[in-house]
Amino acid sequence: MKGLRNLWAWALLTPPLAAAVVLFVVPLLYLFYISLHAASPSEIYGSTLTLENYTSVLSDGFYLGIIRRTIGTAAAILALCLFIGYPVAYFVALLPTRRRMIVLLLLLFPLMVSNVVRAYGWVALLGRRGVINTGLRDLGVIDLPLDLLYNTEAVVVGLMTILLPYMVITIANTLAALDRRYEEAAQALGAGPVRTFLHVTLPLSTPGIASGMLLVFLLTLSAYVTITLLGGPRSKLLVSMVYDSVVGFQWPRAAALAFILLAIALTLTGVILAVLRPNRVQGIGR
Amino acid sequence: MSAAGPPQGAHSAPSGGLGAQQMRDADVRLDRVRKTFGAVIAVNDVTLDIERGTIFSLLGPSGCGKTTTLRLIAGFEQPSAGEVYIRGKRVTSIAPYRRDFSMVFQSYALFPHLSVAENVAFGLRMRRVPRAERGAAIKEALELVKLGALADRYPRQLSGGQQQRVALARAIVVKPAVLLLDEPLGALDKMLREEMQVELRDLQQRLGITAVFVTHDQEEALTLSDRVAVMRGGVIEQIGAPREIYDRPVSEFVAGFLGASNFLDGSVVAREGAIAVVATAGGHVRVVDAAATTPVGAKVRVAVRPERVRMSGPGGEGLHGKVRSIVYRGPVTHYYMDGVGGPLLAYAQNAGAADWAVGDEVRCAWDVEGAVVVAPERA
Amino acid sequence: MSPAFSVGRAIRGSAVVVAFVLILAPILIVVVTAFSPTDYFQFPPPGFSLRWFVEFFRLDNMRNAFTLSLELALLSATIATVLGTLGALYLARRRGVVAGLLQSLFLAPLVFPTIILGLALLLLYKSLGVPVFPGLLLAHCVIGMPYCFRTVLASVQALDPALEEAGQSLGAGPLETFFLVTLPLIWQGVLSGWLFAFIVSFGELNTALFLSGPGLTTLPIEIFSYLQFQGSQLVIAAASTIQIVLIVLLVAGIERIVGMGRIIRSR
Repeated sequence: MKGLRNLWAWALLTPPLAAAVVLFVVPLLYLFYISLHAASPSEIYGSTLTLENYTSVLSDGFYLGIIRRTIGTAAAILALCLFIGYPVAYFVALLPTRRRMIVLLLLLFPLMVSNVVRAYGWVALLGRRGVINTGLRDLGVIDLPLDLLYNTEAVVVGLMTILLPYMVITIANTLAALDRRYEEAAQALGAGPVRTFLHVTLPLSTPGIASGMLLVFLLTLSAYVTITLLGGPRSKLLVSMVYDSVVGFQWPRAAALAFILLAIALTLTGVILAVLRPNRVQGIGR
Repeated sequence: MSAAGPPQGAHSAPSGGLGAQQMRDADVRLDRVRKTFGAVIAVNDVTLDIERGTIFSLLGPSGCGKTTTLRLIAGFEQPSAGEVYIRGKRVTSIAPYRRDFSMVFQSYALFPHLSVAENVAFGLRMRRVPRAERGAAIKEALELVKLGALADRYPRQLSGGQQQRVALARAIVVKPAVLLLDEPLGALDKMLREEMQVELRDLQQRLGITAVFVTHDQEEALTLSDRVAVMRGGVIEQIGAPREIYDRPVSEFVAGFLGASNFLDGSVVAREGAIAVVATAGGHVRVVDAAATTPVGAKVRVAVRPERVRMSGPGGEGLHGKVRSIVYRGPVTHYYMDGVGGPLLAYAQNAGAADWAVGDEVRCAWDVEGAVVVAPERA
Repeated sequence: MSPAFSVGRAIRGSAVVVAFVLILAPILIVVVTAFSPTDYFQFPPPGFSLRWFVEFFRLDNMRNAFTLSLELALLSATIATVLGTLGALYLARRRGVVAGLLQSLFLAPLVFPTIILGLALLLLYKSLGVPVFPGLLLAHCVIGMPYCFRTVLASVQALDPALEEAGQSLGAGPLETFFLVTLPLIWQGVLSGWLFAFIVSFGELNTALFLSGPGLTTLPIEIFSYLQFQGSQLVIAAASTIQIVLIVLLVAGIERIVGMGRIIRSR
């Protein structure tokens, strides 16, 4: 009854596969297809095939500027998350198990709160009548409120704190799973704490760093709500352009912008993986 | 079902066509079964019969295909070619849960979320045995494995040996046509293992269940089995009763796998029926050549078990050897010697007779019955 | 203890403090503000009042958004759990190129920029005429599925494969094996997966942004609209706090059942 055995296998595979294909693969292919067509005033897309949606964006100084700003912002957020996140992860990894679990749960919890709420928290902090401004005015440090909001810096700070837990958790998990004996072996060979860290611990934690960086980076590109709330109309990034095109019913352009965004995501993912080469340290603990 | 001759390499009694009588007596039959995983041939045209009420073991080194063969009987693997029969019924394409067998797994596979009694009850539940009858059967099975008092414990509360018994009880309570065991004693320490070997054999005899088990431990196979199949590289090298394959191995591999062995190379100078006279570097020896096929002049390899070698002083009969090292082993002493044609090994019982010392020149002899022509290893 | 060592520890210590303050402060401010009696944003609030919670439940659009988000989360999490579990059961013991590809496919929505997916689904739905609620539901199903797939996969792979075979050797067919052997041993992974899918759906922004429709907005999108168009901030604080409280209750409840380790490890 080999057929029956296969029947069970198909029963298991078909629903999730169908869902993944129909709701993930097909829409994306369709989107790409649309991006290759000219715009149309009445339909979703016109009848002519064209690369114009891509070329017009990539040759437009305005858009190129946005792209530059997007990559720059992402890089700044990545750097901050890494430099603050790594020491925190190191600290967390060294904690005894019970306490570590509690701290990780404490870090996990903000991730479950919707980004819009967390962004709102920053609006409340940085706004003209926000916590910082009223605090500084009450202390007499300033007379007029500072414009802390609606610029790229606010976006960087806000997104950085929203995404920091991802970095900490992935690196902490990798560090915690590291065999302590690697460090002991290094010390037995004469390496002090700093050199042990630089030559043993840090390289061995590359898988965690790579995961963390990829996660933070991909989420940064996609974080429309936070970018809009904290950046305002003058600090738009590429994802904001996608949304604007949608609002303007310019579907093919929106599609093209989305794929340019995806291309940037894939390229920089490749760069991160190539630089860090996390596969070198396969098998040291997941 | 063809009438092919004895399968390659196997030296069981020639099993020409399969008559109705044989079908009835064979609880398990594999007919030219083959299993490939991609480019790897795990089981290569294996044919065997297992008689009702016997213990049959599959013995061999890791990767020889013995576990795959067991799983083919169970149905957890599908053969790429060939057929599997249980009690005369062709089960090749039937799923495991519809075949009449049960199994003891290497890891025991006790259901962690069920108590001992519930574990044992599982198979009965599947067979829709009414609750009232179940209780009695469970009790009986647990008594048989001497675990009557632990019915309400959970697997994690039991020792390895106890878990193994529960696995056994669970498998026998359903009175299967075939009981399959996959290295069931592998995780136990030596003393417990030997104890369980005896108990297992007793149990099987008492219940008359046909059992097939897989092991890499040749001692275990020899202790427990009615018949043994020695496997290597997916092929059965030899099938037979323990004594038969131990005393009359057909190949160097089988000889070496079942225990230590001396190997001497030489050529046949004369034949006396089933006995061949072989000229080796150290002298002429007479050996049993069961197949009686080796012609005069042919090069042969001879296997002699160390316990068959009798050592005597320089004036005695047999091959010359000089004692190189001695290892005391409690009941026996191992003597490692250098002979003209190669190293020689003898086991001497420590029964109070005189010992030899390193450097002694001795003569090694044995009865004809103790020497056998074996197929040499290729290359 | 060398000076480098102490400096290292000082850096670590201050980084930890800074990090936790930066991460948690915004959330705390929102929660505290929700209980403010004032009309406008004031921090710290001069008193304690529940008026904004009352206002939240009074406002139709807020209430509807909350209900919609809740329904979406419950339904999509459940569907995602079923799909993810089926997929995990299929792939748990399979190896090879195809199995690897399938696994990547099932995990892809986790890392894929959801805003692009949202746009893609929007256009597909437009072409096919799919109504808003089913559209949103399906989007959240495909987003939630990888979470369940991942946790259930880990649970099944942690099981001794011999257990399922043992069940079969005793006569249990595929369904019986699943319900009597597998499920009792993996249900915690299934529940964790459900929890993640629920939380993700409840707070989801990027697809809801495109797929919400007139009268059918999710709570996070409603909050976003208010913030963008300078609506009453304090009602938003209350809305946010309700969301936070719901999540805390859910996580605490499930942690009780499933244990902390399991929740942490599935991240």
